[in-house]
Amino acid sequence: MSNPFSYIFSCLFVLIAHAGMLVNVFFNGKEVDTKEFVILCAAVLGLDIIYYFVMLFYKQHTYTVDFMLLLVLNMSVIFQSCFGGVHLSMKHYITCIVSLIASRVGYHLVRDHRWIQSKKKYVWVCIGIMMGVIVLFTGSRSMWIDLGFMTIQPSEFIKPLLVIACATSITEQQNKHKFLQFNIVWENIILFGITAAVCLLQWWCRDLGSIPTFAAIYAAGFLLRICYPKAKFSNKTLIGAGVAVLIAAGIGIYLAPDYVRARLFVNIWDDTTGNGYQQSQALIAIAEGGWLGKGPSNGFLHEVFAYESDIVFATICEEWGLVIALMTVVVILLIAASPLINPPLSYFHGTLCAGVCAAFTVQMALNIFGSCNLIPFTGVTIPFISMGGSSMATSGIMAGMLTAAQNPVFAKMKSAKPKKQKKVTGGQPA
Amino acid sequence: MKSIRRTQSVITLFLLVFIGGMALLVYKINKEAPFYMMHSDNHQLGKVYDRNGDVLFDAAGTGYDENHFLDVGNLIGDDKGQMENTLVAQNIDKLNNYSFSEGLVKEGGKAAIYTTLDHAANRAVYNAYMGAKGCTVAYNYKTGELLVCTSLPSIDVTKGYANIGELESGTLWSKAMYGTVPGSTQKVSTVISALEIMGPDRLFSKTYNCSGQYMNRSGKPIDCHQSYGHGDQNIQQAVENSCNPFFAQLVEDPDLPLGRLKDMYRKLGYAVNDDKPQYIDIDGIQCEKASTTLTDSYDFNTQWGCIGQGDTLVSPIQLMMWQSAIANGTGKMTMPHLIDHVTDVYGNTTETAKTKESAQLFTPDTAETVKRILLTNGSNHYTGSISGYVLGIKSGTAQVKEGAEENALLVGFVSDERNPIAFCVVLENKYSTPVYAEQIVKTLLDSLCS
Repeated sequence: MSNPFSYIFSCLFVLIAHAGMLVNVFFNGKEVDTKEFVILCAAVLGLDIIYYFVMLFYKQHTYTVDFMLLLVLNMSVIFQSCFGGVHLSMKHYITCIVSLIASRVGYHLVRDHRWIQSKKKYVWVCIGIMMGVIVLFTGSRSMWIDLGFMTIQPSEFIKPLLVIACATSITEQQNKHKFLQFNIVWENIILFGITAAVCLLQWWCRDLGSIPTFAAIYAAGFLLRICYPKAKFSNKTLIGAGVAVLIAAGIGIYLAPDYVRARLFVNIWDDTTGNGYQQSQALIAIAEGGWLGKGPSNGFLHEVFAYESDIVFATICEEWGLVIALMTVVVILLIAASPLINPPLSYFHGTLCAGVCAAFTVQMALNIFGSCNLIPFTGVTIPFISMGGSSMATSGIMAGMLTAAQNPVFAKMKSAKPKKQKKVTGGQPA
Repeated sequence: MKSIRRTQSVITLFLLVFIGGMALLVYKINKEAPFYMMHSDNHQLGKVYDRNGDVLFDAAGTGYDENHFLDVGNLIGDDKGQMENTLVAQNIDKLNNYSFSEGLVKEGGKAAIYTTLDHAANRAVYNAYMGAKGCTVAYNYKTGELLVCTSLPSIDVTKGYANIGELESGTLWSKAMYGTVPGSTQKVSTVISALEIMGPDRLFSKTYNCSGQYMNRSGKPIDCHQSYGHGDQNIQQAVENSCNPFFAQLVEDPDLPLGRLKDMYRKLGYAVNDDKPQYIDIDGIQCEKASTTLTDSYDFNTQWGCIGQGDTLVSPIQLMMWQSAIANGTGKMTMPHLIDHVTDVYGNTTETAKTKESAQLFTPDTAETVKRILLTNGSNHYTGSISGYVLGIKSGTAQVKEGAEENALLVGFVSDERNPIAFCVVLENKYSTPVYAEQIVKTLLDSLCS
């Protein structure tokens, strides 16, 4: 076990990175109010330090994800606090703290694979409850629950639940049952059914943008299922699955509402005031920003709808430059890639990591490539960067899952073993 | 461990696909950022220059003499979106003082278009019209450099478009690029076609009589501009006299079958009857070619079309280009270009013009024969009015507005290795102005050859 004292340099790195960004804000920001700037500095650097001391209470094998998470979250606080003028974005700051807390929740939730696997039916029930909440409380085919002082997007919380559902059922992949003349794995059928139901629900409440994320989480689990240890790799299965995806996508496009199809096939430069408005403005902003940006709070994109969420990548590019925007993406990628550096210690946790990675990369791809007109614009969030409490909380939970995968708890083996080996042995064989 | 490695492989797969997408995105942004920037309110445009460094377009538009840009207004255009078929509108991305690494360069950006135009000569020709309408276009028939291209009336783009509703028709486009009734300059095409179909010996052996009016085989009169007629003539005399009855009889001649005549016209670039219209691209500017109606050798409209009236339309640029195929003696047109070279925001040359030729329109023998005919016409009829030049030339009078007005045209070339200039001058409603087309040609050549 490591302890966070050994991560003092990581903490210093995070502090220096944030301090560097704040210096840039001070010197290159537009009409920086000293008081507002001091508040921003105190909030960012204070959180860095407090989080470090909080982490002292956690004994983990590795703290990589924790400090990367802290790095990217406070980067996003600085970004969001400079859009349209330098002042602490309190809403985003609070959601970042929520995200950090959520990461601890996610960590504790899946750290012990035996416990969570024993509760997998509750996970299915939770998904069902969330779907029920969407149907009953989001209004007329909407995706938001308006609580007056805040809005919640319940579909976001289904993402970590679906990741857990995929991981908890992985042990049942070879538990085949004879049904008519087919060998059926009930867990696989249930998982497919859950994913299909979630996707159909998203379709119903017009949140088509999140369907690829759910599909990607399931695809990660599906890939691991068809490549299980003793299976002969089936090209037919893979091709069949690919064809099925294409057919489903074709049917989806055919049945999509007119406004969705208009977005799919719009030439944004022919419709810069209509369906192509956000994307064209985003690309213009990126062009104006260049490699090094126009300076914090010096952009114009903050006047465009969803500048802080759906097109936030372009807003960052405009003010901070493409280099910083890419570095931010790299930090999120490093969080998703952390299982390659610190390998997950069980197949369950590996499956968990694959699901989280799929969710993060697909969400980033949908947001960044969509806002830059590389693919149709869907309006999903970038994990940890886009403003939005539900997204931040669920991203935090999933980051916590990654941490847990690298710091698992394994149950005691029945056979007597030397006490020293308790912490690193047992669990599901890899 | 194999299971864990598999999960890592799936993670790697997702990461690699995403990183691949990001790499593509960065490449795309780098490549297309100047295009995005052109849609920004903050874009900064460079200037357009003539061949001597004189400014032809400046988005700032201040610090220039009154009407500095007037003679090139409807050719060079501007970035206001009112004139689409102009040099700036079609090449605005080349003037973008922006690069992704440098960002927007508001001061000292070197993005520019250097044209082949001679602004001083252009202005001199513009002034030579003395307020009359029309257009003149001239180029170097060896290199293709467009030297003069002015069209009247025109507009000073720096003064804006507040009075756009009061502008005269034809102000916002360069007439050199659009079809006009060619008058007897069309006879050059008919002579070329006849030479290609019959051969020079047979064509020169033919004589037809002109008594001032010829009643064609379908019973319709073809009038000659000389009411008492030209008598018996051969092709050389007919060209020099610009005799309509001669050419009507030539079209009726069985040695000039209509099918082959149509084929030859199409080869020259005409859209015959219902053919799809064709265009010449001059650095993005679309220029109409020619069109005519040929249905029956004995039909009045067909004969009238071959004489250069009625349905026949040819752009002055096209008329000039045919002269290059004759003057060069090759039967291939030299393709005109307006942009000599382009520089980017750093001043690096990104494009340089190259001389290009068209496909073979007619044989070099035909080119030489027509050249002799036109040079003879020039030496016999134009040495006084356009003195000092060895000219191959053909005049035309185009009846327009149902015959209510007549336009004067002159097409030709200078037979001089030092000044290889081909030109076309159009003077609209020639009886309403004291100016003659020959004066404009003289001014043009004096300006270019001095």
